[in-house]
Amino acid sequence: MKHTIRVTINGRLYEEDVEPRQLLAHFIRENIGLTGTHVGCVVGECGACSILLDGQVVKSCLHLAVQADGREVTTIEGLAKDGELAPIQDAFVKNYALQCGYCTPGMVMTSYALLKTNPNPSEEQIRKALAGNLCMCTGYVQIVDAVKEAARGSKNG
Amino acid sequence: MIKFDYQEPTTLKKALALLDKHGDHARAIAGGTSLLIMMRQRLLLPKVVVSLARIPKFDRITFDAKKGLRIGAGARHRGVELSPVIKQYYPLLHETFHKVAQPRIRNMGTIGGNLACGDPLTDPGASLIALDAEVVLTSSRGQRTLRLDEFFIDYYQTALETGELITEIHVPPATRPRWAHIKFTPRSVEDFATVGIALTLEAKDGSCEDVRLALNSVASTIVRAKQAEEVLRGKPITDATIREMGEIAAAEVDPMDDNRGSADYKRDLVKVLVRRAVQEAMQRTG
Repeated sequence: MKHTIRVTINGRLYEEDVEPRQLLAHFIRENIGLTGTHVGCVVGECGACSILLDGQVVKSCLHLAVQADGREVTTIEGLAKDGELAPIQDAFVKNYALQCGYCTPGMVMTSYALLKTNPNPSEEQIRKALAGNLCMCTGYVQIVDAVKEAARGSKNG
Repeated sequence: MIKFDYQEPTTLKKALALLDKHGDHARAIAGGTSLLIMMRQRLLLPKVVVSLARIPKFDRITFDAKKGLRIGAGARHRGVELSPVIKQYYPLLHETFHKVAQPRIRNMGTIGGNLACGDPLTDPGASLIALDAEVVLTSSRGQRTLRLDEFFIDYYQTALETGELITEIHVPPATRPRWAHIKFTPRSVEDFATVGIALTLEAKDGSCEDVRLALNSVASTIVRAKQAEEVLRGKPITDATIREMGEIAAAEVDPMDDNRGSADYKRDLVKVLVRRAVQEAMQRTG
């Protein structure tokens, strides 16, 4: 039996009928059409599907769409405002913090959530926060550099 | 993913009635971080999934100096980690929950779900056992309280009966002020432990008054090492006694070979890490 759910995604309210077995990651991509959230392992290992749920970073492949009823989702598409990249996105571009780009939305969402709660993280805190995000290109150094730069930027203003 | 019906009851009573009605065909979902993986792998095939998310105050954490700590089963790992009373009165729990997986899982998974899963590789159970925690198990037929060290039965098997839910975790006031938690991970910080050690200790004039030692990732359940505790209880804490304690603990556990290390390697780790845990606890002033 399908359930009707109302979910706010990037500030816009959607009302959709979903089957209980549909994962939130698939709902975001297939029903809403926001394909920035990537689906990698689908067992909570790789972090590519990381999103914010009520402001907290979660893995959308370990979450049912029906469980998101009445809640607020932010995806990678929700970070830029009026065509301006968010500082963390800018820092990823400037630091070449992506190669193939598959893990990037998850990396950015996790970094964004980290900087929101801890605007001035140490390198160790950055590495620990990103520990559950896998980059198969292994470009981790530039990613950590990008998060550091975004943190510096937020301090300057 | 398998097909199933989804229910989101708004009270505990309704949730228990649903679990009762559907019996073995029903599964409760809290954070979902373990359950959904097992369903995707077809290890569990529930026909009805009952969400506990709308049960009021199911994540409440309260503390009373005389009665101790009560943690609602729906409290997320992150909530336990960041709770000010837990940080102040149960630093071992704060430290342990800080080490569970990584923030995304801690934002999702719950303490009740973790314990109900009965996974011997996870961190919370050992520290809760070291603090003499009890679980409150509730069904439509009534309520019972069980010591956590009697709750785990085998790999993914617990004392939970059909229709029963963990509703609360009770931790008595901490009587052993010294503690240590060691999570040994060979690869990256969010991995399961190769060996996990939780220890609480009360010492006076260099002697051990009382001690609890619990370990994860080294047997088919999270285990309390009672024989190892006996080695130290009532004795002077010396290099020789803590060495013996580690050796007895290593004999008491029953690890398996896996991709985190061989059984022999894990036994050796237990010997060393139990010793270090006591040393670490003794360096804390309490």
